[in-house]
Amino acid sequence: MLNRSMSGRQRKSKQSEAQLGLLLALPIALVMILLVFFPVCVTMWDSLHRVDPMRSGTPFIGLQHYWELFEDQSVRTAAFNTSAYVLFTVVLETTFGVLVALLLDYINVGRKWLLGIIILPWALPPIVNALIWLWIYNPNNGVLNNFLLSSGLIDERHIWMNDRSTALILISLVHVWRMMPLTAVIILAALQSIPKELYEAADLDGASIWRKFKNITLPLISGALAIALTQSTLFAFNLFDEAWVLSGASQDTRTVLIQVYMSAFQDMHFSYGMALSVVVMFVSLSVSLFYVLKIYRETRFD
Amino acid sequence: MISRKSFNGAALAGLLCMGVSLPLYAADTASSKEYAGQTITVMLPPWGTLPKNMVDRFQLDTGIKINMQTLGWDEIRAKVITSLVAGISPADVVEVDWSWVGQFGAAGWFTPLDKIIGREILSDTPSSKIFQYKGQTLAVPYNNDFRLMIVNKAHLSKAGIIKMPKTMDQLLIDARALKASGASKYPIALPLSATEGTATAWYLLTKAYGGELFDDNFRPQFASENSPGHKALQFIQQAVKEGLIDPAATGMTDVQVQDAFKGGQYSIDLAGWPGNLSTYNDKTKSKIAGSATAALMPSSTGSSRSFGLVEGLGIPQKSKNKGAASEFIKWWMRVENQVEVYEVLSDLPTRNSALKVLIQQNKLNDGEVLLEQIKGVTPLFASGSPEWYPELSREASAAINQMAKGQLTVNEVAKQIADKTEKAMKK
Repeated sequence: MLNRSMSGRQRKSKQSEAQLGLLLALPIALVMILLVFFPVCVTMWDSLHRVDPMRSGTPFIGLQHYWELFEDQSVRTAAFNTSAYVLFTVVLETTFGVLVALLLDYINVGRKWLLGIIILPWALPPIVNALIWLWIYNPNNGVLNNFLLSSGLIDERHIWMNDRSTALILISLVHVWRMMPLTAVIILAALQSIPKELYEAADLDGASIWRKFKNITLPLISGALAIALTQSTLFAFNLFDEAWVLSGASQDTRTVLIQVYMSAFQDMHFSYGMALSVVVMFVSLSVSLFYVLKIYRETRFD
Repeated sequence: MISRKSFNGAALAGLLCMGVSLPLYAADTASSKEYAGQTITVMLPPWGTLPKNMVDRFQLDTGIKINMQTLGWDEIRAKVITSLVAGISPADVVEVDWSWVGQFGAAGWFTPLDKIIGREILSDTPSSKIFQYKGQTLAVPYNNDFRLMIVNKAHLSKAGIIKMPKTMDQLLIDARALKASGASKYPIALPLSATEGTATAWYLLTKAYGGELFDDNFRPQFASENSPGHKALQFIQQAVKEGLIDPAATGMTDVQVQDAFKGGQYSIDLAGWPGNLSTYNDKTKSKIAGSATAALMPSSTGSSRSFGLVEGLGIPQKSKNKGAASEFIKWWMRVENQVEVYEVLSDLPTRNSALKVLIQQNKLNDGEVLLEQIKGVTPLFASGSPEWYPELSREASAAINQMAKGQLTVNEVAKQIADKTEKAMKK
């Protein structure tokens, strides 16, 4: 920042640094504008029109699609399913992500190898993950049924996707299995930046493990936690692959994004699908904003 | 006892009575070399993917190279829609299902083929009418698919069943007998997942109960409890409750159910594909080879009914090789090629001339039954598939899936499908 105490040469140097920074940021800004902001704006604009290849013209219809969304039973069911996924996956990913990160931070020997193994589910394409679990959940020759039968926990093969609650939980678990490693990596990075002296001082004061976690660890990883919660939430709102592969268009596990896909690409009501995707965008951003503001307020030390 | 030859002769006479013209394949013209040197892309499902020797022969005949792309049936539709909305052609020749005609016709995405393919071929292909939209033929049918019942004779013998069930009630009785005999744990093969195969199975059963889904004004006819569509839903629910249909079918597509049938798990492929008969009886591909046989769909009216699910070849408007693409379609529609496609891919020919050749050469698997069933084949929508058909199909399959899982009653399913269909019609 320029101030009056700086000499002319210093001011010039600062200005050219700022210009260089802007120049270096320009490519990514252009990419973001072209590939993110422009499509979002076009989508929002088109959602106010009727865009349907089966009908001529694209007349302006205002908020009609948005009213129709709230009256659509399929959309309401998909919204409920998505809310369930968000709740299950965010809680489980965050809980287990923190636990795994704490474990990795504690281990000194073999940490790299363990981290590599843990990251593997996240590195695989989501479709591949879902197909693996489709086989595991297969009622006739899946690993899950075979294991439970052989250990005597069940008497006969169970059709896991036939019960709605079970199906929602099992699909959530597949998503958690894939995304938890990312949470763990984010938290691990924050854990490793905490000065060890703080824990040493707490030990000298006789603090318990829980006290150290609550008063040192948690506050100092809260920024990373906000990021992890945000990405968990956004990915959960956008859950598609796992639900589609494991359960297809089935109403009791259908997500909002699947509903968007079906409205746009099966029914060919493109603007209707766009309106739904806009609603999803705002809802997921609102939830993420809540995390950031809430956690930011609680952890400032100034 | 009627010999196969004389029966085939009678069947041929029957076809003649239905207005089949003879022998048109002599009028097929030689392929043109006008487009030699061009390359076309052809996108079809696995049962439409030509073997290498046929691709090579096409290239020799026309000088046109083919790039064959195989995609699952469900995936092709998504690919076609996303490409055409973006203004590019997914391929020069693509699969066009009977159920897509309403939507694709309304969107104006496909090239009318009436003048390109010619009246001679189209008049020899009765099912080409299914692909007409506002008087224009948008695709030419290549696979004369319809539904019929296919049974495992060995299982039926084990259960002491000597006659094929003729009515839906008898079908249930026979299924119970099959289960009790231990021939199969779940005798009836029927998909119940939220996919197209589940919906088409319901349509078929509605026909079996003597009814239609909609009247001429597209009003749902399945909401009342005594309607055939409602009875068809009751049949499915009852069969699931009695353990006559595998509860795991709620997660199985029609292809997966067929795989289980040819693996010997089920006894009756209720919504069978005629093209599968050769696969089911192929020792290299099936564990029930020699036991699979076609049977007429049971019926509550006394005459067996079914419906056509014809698949066609279409040329997108955005294709840059329309001439070469039309040569490919004309080449496929040659009688000798349709006959060969049946032998290698089990796609039942759509040209009457080709069917005649197969009959004369005794190459039609269970030909008598197929020909008898064909007489009862009618389209699902007499005036062509409407634009909202995909929504109907999806909502029907999703609701039946929920019913099979015990989440909805039959009345709730019927009402849900009717309500959502009416809503789709209004959009």
